[in-house]
Amino acid sequence: MELKPDFNRFLAAVRHQETDRVPLGEILIDYSVQSKFLGRTVTADDLAGQVEFWSKAGYDFIPITISMMSPGKVTEESKITRVLKEMVLRERPGTTDPKAWNLEMTSFIHERADLDKFPWEAAADIDFSKLHAIKPLLPEGMKVIAISGKIFTLTWMLMGFNNFALKLALDESFVAEVFERVATIQFKALESIFAMDHVAGVWVVDDIAFGTGTMISPAALKKHVFSWYRKVGERCHAHNRLFMMHSDGDLSAIMDELIDMELDAIQPIDPSCMDMAKVKKQWGERICLIGNVSNELLRSASTAQIEARVKELLRDAAPGGGFALGSGNSVPNWAKFENYMTMRETCLKHGRYPISIK
Amino acid sequence: MADHLNTIKDAVIGGKHGEIKALVQQALDAGTDPATLINDALIAAMDVVGKDFGEGKIFVPEMLVSAMTMKSGLEVVKPRLAGGESQSRGTVIMATVKGDLHDIGKNLVSMMLEGAGFKVLDLGVDLSVEKLVDQVKSVGPDVLGLSALLTTTMPEMQKVIAELKNQGLRDKVKVLVGGAPVDRAFAEKIGADGYGSNAAEAVELARRFASAK
Repeated sequence: MELKPDFNRFLAAVRHQETDRVPLGEILIDYSVQSKFLGRTVTADDLAGQVEFWSKAGYDFIPITISMMSPGKVTEESKITRVLKEMVLRERPGTTDPKAWNLEMTSFIHERADLDKFPWEAAADIDFSKLHAIKPLLPEGMKVIAISGKIFTLTWMLMGFNNFALKLALDESFVAEVFERVATIQFKALESIFAMDHVAGVWVVDDIAFGTGTMISPAALKKHVFSWYRKVGERCHAHNRLFMMHSDGDLSAIMDELIDMELDAIQPIDPSCMDMAKVKKQWGERICLIGNVSNELLRSASTAQIEARVKELLRDAAPGGGFALGSGNSVPNWAKFENYMTMRETCLKHGRYPISIK
Repeated sequence: MADHLNTIKDAVIGGKHGEIKALVQQALDAGTDPATLINDALIAAMDVVGKDFGEGKIFVPEMLVSAMTMKSGLEVVKPRLAGGESQSRGTVIMATVKGDLHDIGKNLVSMMLEGAGFKVLDLGVDLSVEKLVDQVKSVGPDVLGLSALLTTTMPEMQKVIAELKNQGLRDKVKVLVGGAPVDRAFAEKIGADGYGSNAAEAVELARRFASAK
């Protein structure tokens, strides 16, 4: 059966409407899985291959990462790396370890004096070429969701987590200033993203919680993080774009706040600490839920167990819309391929509306 | 003496890092036994902090300030102990596995273990199986704590356990695993001795392992 992408299907799910079937949704699927699905090698640079995979596998959108600091994207050639290298060598001549100027491996803002030393302009120089290049490759009905806009993680990465957490307790206004500078860059990126018609939404991938709850207090999140995300949401909606979020961990204590900041969808409802049926019951009418098939199941379960779990999720979360099925995080290279295939095939077969699973 | 101990305990729990050194000095000057001060005030306070963190009553920043306060207090007491060192509850090697550069969880657990009186050898991030096993061989820790944040690096934990077995070291060290994508089922499947869903649980398990030795 040939599957045709239809972003309206996903949009309807977000708006709590039932269409032909429950959509599939992921923030990331490893290229090895994409390659196995298509029967040929798909790489990070092979945009056509990626589009073909996401389209043929039954997704209505393709997620593309566009950010100031994306894991694995900060290379020796990046402008920010070159600028930081110059800065580090100026301050500490003779430094040879490349980690010293890699934004992902070293924190740069420890004290207030570091704020003005940091090359914010270079950090704001975000590469949008992938978003532009993908437009002509998209089949009819398919859209792009830009993975962008993270603020919490970038702030603590720039400061180093321990330093960030200590300063939040001891010098709050300093941390607030770093948040503001990061947010300013992300907002600027949003304007470029909104200029592209084929980009239908922004997915903020920003882990703010552990398995037992949030990393910083809900009050601190509300004051320093959600205040910015509320503005991201307002800008997305003003440009008729979706505003989605990913965070691992137990979000129960902040679900009301997430919904209040006009988030359209949340993923993955971390299956290690959140129960989809309970989440659907408590918050499901106010926000679209995406994901929840445990990655541990994808790694180790039988296909029969995967099928049973997907059916449970469809039964509990799909009626009335407001649900897209996917993994409990992303689809890694160590997920059993047959389990990934069973997850999506079960959704395609049993996720047809009206849901009839008892 | 109890008043001094309670005041110090409250100061650590409340993260009063600016006051702790003077409070500890006052207690020592008043004749408080240094070992009692460590166990009944500083470590006891971190036990409360760990429990509160595990129950979601406090968060990482508050916990770190308490840990910093505890360490400041400890610096004042240590020179007054015979030999300058307090008795360790046991030795723990902590590391994030190969391919994983994330260290928040690992750092929190290390800090809490130190607060609970363990000697912690934090090897850092991105540790290969070979390096980890070599360290277990040379240090002989009571516990090896392995952390992973990425779903892609979790399988490294299994490789470490397999290599410990290969080298005949498996029964000499307890392996404790944790990290956002790790869960109890995974820990059991790979043959770890314990899984800590948070720093407090990890410390509790380390205590149990060390005391059973």
